[in-house]
Parts: sequence; C-alpha cells; structure tokens
Amino acid sequence: MPAYHSTFPYDPNTDRLIGNFVIMPIKTKFRGPSYPCNSDYDIIDECLDLFRPNSFFKNFEIKTPSDRLLIYGILFINQCLATIQPHMSYNDAVKALVNLSLNHFVLPGTPGFPLNSTYQVPIEDPQQMALLKSYLAQFRQELAMRLIERVYTDPKLGVEAEQDKTKNSPSKYWLSFTKRKFMNKSL
Amino acid sequence: MSYLNNPAIVMDNGTGLTKLGFAGNDSPSWIFPTAIATSQGSQSTSSSKKLDTSMNMSNTNYSSSTTATGATSTGTGTNKNSYYAKSTSATAFDNLSSNVLLSNNLAGKRGTEDLDFYIGNEALIASQGPSYSLSYPIKHGQIENWDHMERFWENSIFKYLRVEPEDHYFLLTEPPLNPPENREQVAEIFFESFNCAGLYIAVQAVLALAASWTSSKVIDRSLTGTVIDSGDGVTHVIPVAEGYVIGSAIKNIPIAGRDITLFIQSLLRERGEQDTSLKTAERIKQEYCYVCPDIVKEFNKFDRNPEKFAQFVVENKERTSKKIIDIGYERFLAPEIFFNPEIASSDFLTPLPTLVDQTIQACPIDVRKGLYNNIVLSGGSTMFKDFGRRLQRDLKSIVNNRIAQNERLTGTKSTGVDVSVISHRKQRNAVWFGGSLLAQTAEFRGYCHTKQDYEEYGPEIVRNFSLFNMV
Ligand SMILES: Nc1ncnc2c1ncn2[C@@H]1O[C@H](COP(=O)(O)OP(=O)(O)O)[C@@H](O)[C@H]1O
Ligand SMILES: [Mg+2]
Repeated sequence: MPAYHSTFPYDPNTDRLIGNFVIMPIKTKFRGPSYPCNSDYDIIDECLDLFRPNSFFKNFEIKTPSDRLLIYGILFINQCLATIQPHMSYNDAVKALVNLSLNHFVLPGTPGFPLNSTYQVPIEDPQQMALLKSYLAQFRQELAMRLIERVYTDPKLGVEAEQDKTKNSPSKYWLSFTKRKFMNKSL
Repeated sequence: MSYLNNPAIVMDNGTGLTKLGFAGNDSPSWIFPTAIATSQGSQSTSSSKKLDTSMNMSNTNYSSSTTATGATSTGTGTNKNSYYAKSTSATAFDNLSSNVLLSNNLAGKRGTEDLDFYIGNEALIASQGPSYSLSYPIKHGQIENWDHMERFWENSIFKYLRVEPEDHYFLLTEPPLNPPENREQVAEIFFESFNCAGLYIAVQAVLALAASWTSSKVIDRSLTGTVIDSGDGVTHVIPVAEGYVIGSAIKNIPIAGRDITLFIQSLLRERGEQDTSLKTAERIKQEYCYVCPDIVKEFNKFDRNPEKFAQFVVENKERTSKKIIDIGYERFLAPEIFFNPEIASSDFLTPLPTLVDQTIQACPIDVRKGLYNNIVLSGGSTMFKDFGRRLQRDLKSIVNNRIAQNERLTGTKSTGVDVSVISHRKQRNAVWFGGSLLAQTAEFRGYCHTKQDYEEYGPEIVRNFSLFNMV
C-alpha cells in the first residue's frame, strides 16, 4: 500500500486553480481569499490526519490538484513541529507559529521552493501570485493553530478530556515526527 | 533396542532459535538461540572428520555408559537456570545476569580438548567476557559452519536433552531448497559421530502444515497449502502441493523479527526514550505490538483513547534504579512493515499479501485453489495479534480485484476463490510441533533411515525420505 492521498476531488464550483495549485475552501476565522467551507471536514483536517502516516513514506504519486495542497500542508506541519521546542509553553508556541505562518515564506514556483518540478504556477502574473500568497498565509495560520490544539493535547488524557492546554507541554509523540521527512523534502 | 520405547527427539534448528524436545510433547522442552561461543585460543579438531566419508564406525567418540533415557528426561525443560529456560530472543540477553557458567558435564564422555565452548543462552553470557567469540552457525536457514553446528548438536544432545543418541530416533528439520549434499553432511554427523539409531529430515514448511491440523478451521488434513514462515531473519512464502514443496515458486522477503525490533528501536530513539536498547525494543515487540486494519484510523484511535499508550519499566541488574519507557504508535507501526515495507525500508517495497499472491500465481493452475484456501502461519514473527486477519483481508482484495477485472474482460462470471488464512495455537513453534506430531506416530520409524541402512547404502540414502501419509 502506498502513501495516503487526498480524498477531495477537484470541484470547479468551489475550487480555483492557480496553475496546477488549487485554492480550496477551508473552515477558518483568519482573513483571506478562501471561500466559506460547507463541509465539516476540510483539507486542513485531512493534512493533520495524514501527516503522521505519510511521514513514513518517501514515494508519493500526485493524482489530483488537492494532493499538491496536501503535500504542502504536510511539509508545513513538519516545519511547525521543528519550531516548537520540547518545553515551549502553549502561548509561546502560538507566537512562534504565527510568525512562521506569516513571515516571508517561499511561494510555489519561485526559487527555493523544494517541489518546483511538480508545481507549476504563473509566476509572470502578479495578480494570481498575490492571490496565491494571501491564500497560503490564511491556510498556514489556520493549519498552525489547529496543529497546536493537537500537539498540546496531553496524550495521557486524550482529545475528549477537559484539559487546560495552555498548561500542557507539547506531545513528544508529535514532536518526534520532525525526524521523518515525507517525500524526503522539507519547506 | 531401547530406541523402540524411547520417544524420538525432535530438533528444529532455526536461524535465530533452536527448538528442542521429545516427540509427543505439546511444546519444545528447550528454546534457545542457535548460537555458539568458542574459545578464542583453541582450534577445532573435528572439522576434518566431516570430509571423511568412510563408513568405518570404529570411532564412536560420543558413546558413553550413562543411561539417561528420553522417557525419564521428558519435560526437564523447567530448569531454574535462566539460560536453560525457554527463550524468545535470539540476540538480546533475557535477564541473563549470571556470570557463573555451568561446568561442561561432557567431560566424562570424551576427551576435554574440544569442550571449551558454550551454546544457547550460555553462549551469549560467555561471549560477554574476553575469551569467547560468538557465532551463529545457521544463516538464512542453512547451516554455514558445520564444525560449529556439530558441536552445537553435541551439546544439545548431551547437555540439554541428556540422552544417548543410539537409544533414540531423531527428527531434524531443513529449510526449503536445502541442497542434498547438506542432508548427507547431517547424516554423517548423526550416524558416524553421534551413532544415532535412526534419522528423518523433514522440510520445515511441510511440518508447519501438519501443525495446522490442530486448528478447528482445518477440515481435511491435507498437505496442500501455502506456508508463511517468519522467524528472526527472513520471511519465506512456501507453496506445498500434496506434501511436495513447489520450489520454483518459493519467495522470500528480507523482513522479519530482527527488522521489526530495529524499527521499534529507531522510533524509541526519535522520541528520545530513556532506554532504547535492542532488548527493550524486542520486549516491546513481543508484549505490546499488534496489527491494525488501517494506520490512519489507528493514529486517531490513540488520540481518542489514551489507554492505548502504555509504559514499560526497565530496572537495572541491582534493582536500584528504574527507567520508564513510554510506548506509543510503535504498537501498530512495527508489524505494519509486513504490509507496508516502505515505512521502514527503501530497498524492499513489496507488501507480504502481494508477495503471497505472486507466489501462488507462479504455481500450476490446478493447485492454486488449494494454495489460496489453506494459508498457514508459522514462526515467532507471525505472532502479532490480527496478523492473519489482515493478511486474509488484503489478499482477498487483491484476488477479488483480479477476478472482477477478468470478468469485465471476458464477460464470464467467475466461481470465485476462497482465501483462507489459518492461525492456530501452535503457530509460534509450528515447525517443531508438526515434527512432534509426526514423530510420535507408530509409522514414524518406518519412514526413518536407520543406522543399519546408513552402513549398508552410505550417506546418499538420506537424499530421499518418503512422505508421511497421516490421513
Ligand atoms: N510473541 C511474539 N510476537 C512477536 N515476535 C515474536 C514473538 N515471539 C517471538 N518472536 C520473534 O520471533 C523470532 C524468532 O522466531 P522463530 O520462528 O523461532 O525463528 P527461526 O526459526 O528463524 O529461528 C524472533 O525475532 C522473536 O523476537
Ligand atoms: Mg524456523
């Protein structure tokens, strides 16, 4: 069995393509160009669910545009986890990840992006590139904040328990995944 | 003629573990690593003997006047010494803390010059000191160092089983595709050096099939089926039709117990656990790991059910300090490498269910049904909970996809293929147990070659053994 793929089919009514990169609706309160999301489960939930299993795989065949967003999300999660230090408090992690989400990140298609052979975007079109940039900023913030909720859940209590996450330490089970690199790549 | 009443000896020498005991018993009396520690200084003298193919029986070195018989020794496996007890590990030191080795009680049986060695768990202990070096005489199922193997058997017989070989028949096991020359070597050692009464060499996979007859799922006692034998170093997929191994279709994967242990060790290290020794990794493997239906869902189960996480306490020898090791996703990720080899290896990528399917597809078409509906598990590394269930599900889906595709192409409806994987209670030491079943039957001695046969016809006689017809 190969690595897990995104289960979201391309939907021309809600999804916009920038080259072969897709802008999909996400559930979020952060401002940005995402359309409102009608479903309970979005691509960000999927990135969080597939991050751990897919981190063990080196090979991945891109089948749909949403697979490209999935790869991006998984690589970004790895970068977030590398930013969270083992004893970092919840509040410090929030600050660190907000910074990471917004501060000068490399856009697909531009020099320094690790997957340019498979991501084609119209770099000559400034409007499209601005849309891509503001969508990714929104996507990264939302993903980072939902990741923190998972990482600061005490594994000994579980997600369903009442707990004050701001008092927890980050889960070593999640942090250990920084040692693995999905597709042998990192952002 | 005491061999007529004595139980036969059943020996299964695996790459990792040797299983040793008496026919008719439910389980081996001893299980220990197939390891030998030899003194660094002494050179062996017995190595030249195996080249001597003469049938001169004058030098029966090992004969003795002691009359320990199998009947009285049966069940002596419950020894209090830890290195005599049953072992589940071929490499780690399972609570072997003693530095005092038993003196070698073979001294009375022959000259002392050759006795400076230890086998099994004692060998592991001896090799911790400076004067002994450890080696494993069996590699990938086949004997590679005959001199070490002969000494290993010598100690097995006289020090563990404590029997007189001339008073017993022996059932030994061999891997699939064992060259006939190797059988002759074995016969020479057993008849000439040990002077054993009679010998039968059985193919491990065939014994594993016989062992599965204890399962309630098995209705006819057939010797047709596919054996998945997974030990410490390698996993074999062996198709057997009416007792004969279909040699051309056998396949191996280089993934077995040791690889799983190493994978657990790497996960413990990535998490920075306090003890990441192989011993700890192997115990976690044997006590906590299981096969899950789907790893994505299993990660989420761990998020929702905190009781899925476990803890393992490691105490030092003196019991003065404790280390607590947390156990997490390795519980289901470790055996997942059979089904998703990519998660641990970059050079071998074929999942076990796919390999089983390829093996059966490489067999003659008229036996395939029988091979799909009797897939029998054998060996320590098939012991993970739900291993058989997952294998059956994944293989079924491969087979059903192919059938559906054929139906689309040909437009004819298929009668379907019944895929059935057999797990049973004797699976861990299935090869040994199958040997115990066969060697306790009244017919067994008739299938053995005896000392007299050997003297009359020479070593070639062991190139063929008749198949058992136990039905
Ligand atoms: N309960 C268990 N669960 C998982 N692995 C086990 C269990 N018991 C033994 N093993 C593993 O099985 C292997 C030995 O299997 P065995 O069939 O005796 O090998 P071989 O015949 O090749 O020497 C070792 O790697 C050991 O760690
Ligand atoms: Mg074996």
